Amino acid sequence: MVTFQLSVNGQSRTVATAPEVPLLWVLRDSLGLRGTKFGCGRGICGACTVLIEGTAMRSCVTTAASVTRRSITTIEGLAAGALHPVQQAWIDEDVPQCGYCQAGQIMMAVSLLRTTADPSDEQIADAMSGNLCRCGTYLRIRRAVRRAAMTGASR
Amino acid sequence: MSVVRIDRRSFLKIGATTAGALIVGYYIDDHPAAAEPFRPNGYVRIDPDGAVTLWAKNPDMGQGVKTSLPMMIAEELDVDWDRVRVEQADLNSAWYGGQGAGGSDGTPSDGPLGQRAGAIARALLVAAAAQTWGVESAACETDRGIVHHRASGRSLSYGELTATAATLPVPKEAPRLKDISRYTIVGKPTRGVDTPKIVVGAPIYGLDVHVPGMLYAVIEKCPVHGGKPVRVDSSAALAVNGVRRVITIDGHANPTYLRPGVAVIAESTWAAMKGREALRVEWDEGPGANESSATLTAQFRAAAKQPGKVLAESGDVDRAFVASLAEVRLKSRTSETEVRLKSGSSQTETHAAAVDVEYEAPFLAHATLEPQNCTAHVHDGRCEIWGPLQMPTSGAMVVADVLGIPHEAVSIHVTRIGGGFGRRLLSDYAAEAAVISKVVGAPVQVVWSRDDDLRHDYYRPAGLHHVRAAIDGDRRLLVWDHHLVNVSRNRYRLEQTPPESTETYGLLAPIRDAKHQFDGDLQPTLIPNCRVQYTEVRTAVPTGALRAPSHNINAFVIESVLDELAHEAGVDPVALRLSYFGERRDFPSETDEATDFNATRLKQVLKLVVERSRWGTAMPKGRGLGLAVHFTFGSYCAQVADVSVDANKRLRVHRIVAVIDVGLPVNPLNLEAQTQGGIIDGLSAALFGEITIDRGRTVQSTFETYPLLRHRDAPDIEVHIVPSRERPTGFGEIALPPVAPAVANAIFAASGIRIRRLPIVSNGFRV
Repeated sequence: MVTFQLSVNGQSRTVATAPEVPLLWVLRDSLGLRGTKFGCGRGICGACTVLIEGTAMRSCVTTAASVTRRSITTIEGLAAGALHPVQQAWIDEDVPQCGYCQAGQIMMAVSLLRTTADPSDEQIADAMSGNLCRCGTYLRIRRAVRRAAMTGASR
Repeated sequence: MSVVRIDRRSFLKIGATTAGALIVGYYIDDHPAAAEPFRPNGYVRIDPDGAVTLWAKNPDMGQGVKTSLPMMIAEELDVDWDRVRVEQADLNSAWYGGQGAGGSDGTPSDGPLGQRAGAIARALLVAAAAQTWGVESAACETDRGIVHHRASGRSLSYGELTATAATLPVPKEAPRLKDISRYTIVGKPTRGVDTPKIVVGAPIYGLDVHVPGMLYAVIEKCPVHGGKPVRVDSSAALAVNGVRRVITIDGHANPTYLRPGVAVIAESTWAAMKGREALRVEWDEGPGANESSATLTAQFRAAAKQPGKVLAESGDVDRAFVASLAEVRLKSRTSETEVRLKSGSSQTETHAAAVDVEYEAPFLAHATLEPQNCTAHVHDGRCEIWGPLQMPTSGAMVVADVLGIPHEAVSIHVTRIGGGFGRRLLSDYAAEAAVISKVVGAPVQVVWSRDDDLRHDYYRPAGLHHVRAAIDGDRRLLVWDHHLVNVSRNRYRLEQTPPESTETYGLLAPIRDAKHQFDGDLQPTLIPNCRVQYTEVRTAVPTGALRAPSHNINAFVIESVLDELAHEAGVDPVALRLSYFGERRDFPSETDEATDFNATRLKQVLKLVVERSRWGTAMPKGRGLGLAVHFTFGSYCAQVADVSVDANKRLRVHRIVAVIDVGLPVNPLNLEAQTQGGIIDGLSAALFGEITIDRGRTVQSTFETYPLLRHRDAPDIEVHIVPSRERPTGFGEIALPPVAPAVANAIFAASGIRIRRLPIVSNGFRV
């Protein structure tokens, strides 16, 4: 067991776990932040996507101990007062079906728009193809990313 | 999710009502108090401050019933949709009767129950206002949560009427429902009620449940299907920090209830997973270890050469087929002569055609993105369950059975479901949580890994179809001889009904009798020589229902063979489908009103899809359109796929145009989503979906080896919804069956290569 500090959604949290525990399980089981989802455990479905220093990372294959000095944002910390434009676009386009993958999709889209303010469909497809949606909401995801780009999600 | 416990008193009350309830689904509060909210039934509550809460009876796994069924209630209750709060109903048979999500049955069966509940509540509120004012109910009207007496200019809000309404007797006669022309909620594109929670990561799924004192469990199962643990060395597992217990699960006689395994119980999910890696288990692999995909395929092929069990027969199939073949051979010689004489002009003529073909289908996994999981707490002879169950009612029976307690002692809190696709029709993971909780005496959350999910699914059955079919020169279907050989999910779940009874849906239809359900769109009574045969191949591989069960493969075969016949005969595939019904319009079902088949509606979706796609226009080399149509669970869908295939068999699906007719469209926004989603699901399975077996073990265990369609490969999908006032029918499954044949038929049009084996990539295509 090791004890360390994590910076999650702007708050410093103390965690005591085995050193190899993935960030996903620390967020979910230790910190009670269950918005970040378990999908595959191998970093290939994207359901567990969080932002580390603003960039999308797969929390199921990132140990918590490796991100102690970095700023972690989860879906719960995305809205600052009002919803983030990407979250609002997801509502406006009624994207979710079962919704299980959508926290990861939203974090991925936020990461994309941070570096590419006005992505083409090709850039959207490239960025978002690492995130599986088993319900097949891809067409609405595409529309929602475009909408978020127009409403200033790159802030 | 927050945990709300049913207190013992109300639990017993509900239990007692179950036994004595005369009107299933309408539980009347027997002690209404003036200050309490008005709750005339399980679906509706109105608080004195006017807040309206509606309950969604059925689980929502993305199909949208948590929104669309309350829309139907709200419409009859006559309230402002924006002020409605929707709650997921717990299992409560007294209030709701059976609860579950399957068979595309929510809208047609439960929609009317909700409408009636809303109309009764509204009638009571009107009666309360009328009593208050001393006027007739008939002189009052409602408008979005307010009762008006226009003659005197008086009005009262629903909130002001709750106390009085709660004292009134429930009307004996069901009130008349609204005329569709006055609908203000049903038919409007409406966003999902849970969407605002989903986008902020609210803990609403099964895996998000947290009960104080809860432990986590993972289960190692025998890698060989049907095997069981013999000896367990748990010492290393127990040495892992956080691991509390290791226990053996014996399984149930019915493997869809509970399968054997070794459970590692720990203080965190991760500790349980690490503990499991340290387990040493000796397995009794059982006879399944002798099976592989190759041996099963060989059995399918051998069985197809022998006669099967005849399920339906008319005319003289063998003689008619031989005669048709002879005519085709004669015609082909004649047309060769004609070609020489007329320089190819005969190619546009219609002629007789016959095909004798085999189609093969693999096992498919469900791969719900939320892995199987459930939380249970067994205590004091009762069991409380929180989880993503598609079938809470049967889930309670399963849990009760494995625990040996009455089903009334099982309470179920239904969470949002992270994908169902038929996997969670079975409640095995709830039974696992229950039996483990019973042993450890604490609340337990069972968590499956992705590996567990793919390797221990209840798969869509693999099989083979041998079809001989013929049409004459006037586009009449003369012969359809269909021999289905597969493994039966009915057999796997130990049903007493014949093994084929789950496997024939969508084959030829609608000939329904007590034994055989065929729900499809080919009408056998219109085919003079028609035969359906079935042969079962036994296997240890677990099988179950997958979205549009049996339809999801049978439609592929029917629609592909029709396309083969059309091309062989030089007939437009649309013309062939339009003509095979002749003048017949309606084919009423003998056993279930919901599956009446209306040929006019099927023809309509066909005609519309031709109009909305580029059907009939010349395509460039390497590009082609393919068409398919299907009837499933009372709904109709036609699709045209537009694909290109290059010289290296690189396949691109560009666009799919879909027309659906699901009767009255309750929530068009959701219908569009379900159609897009059903198409992506069906396309993903058609392109890549294949579970293979090696020495009794499932080979695929990750999303690398069991790929699903990703964003960049999603085609454009255009959805057209037929405006209709017919009874609304299900929409969660209908879009799936036509995709595979539409794409396969398009591949033929583009490349001349006929896909007779799924998945498409197994035919050398690359995506």
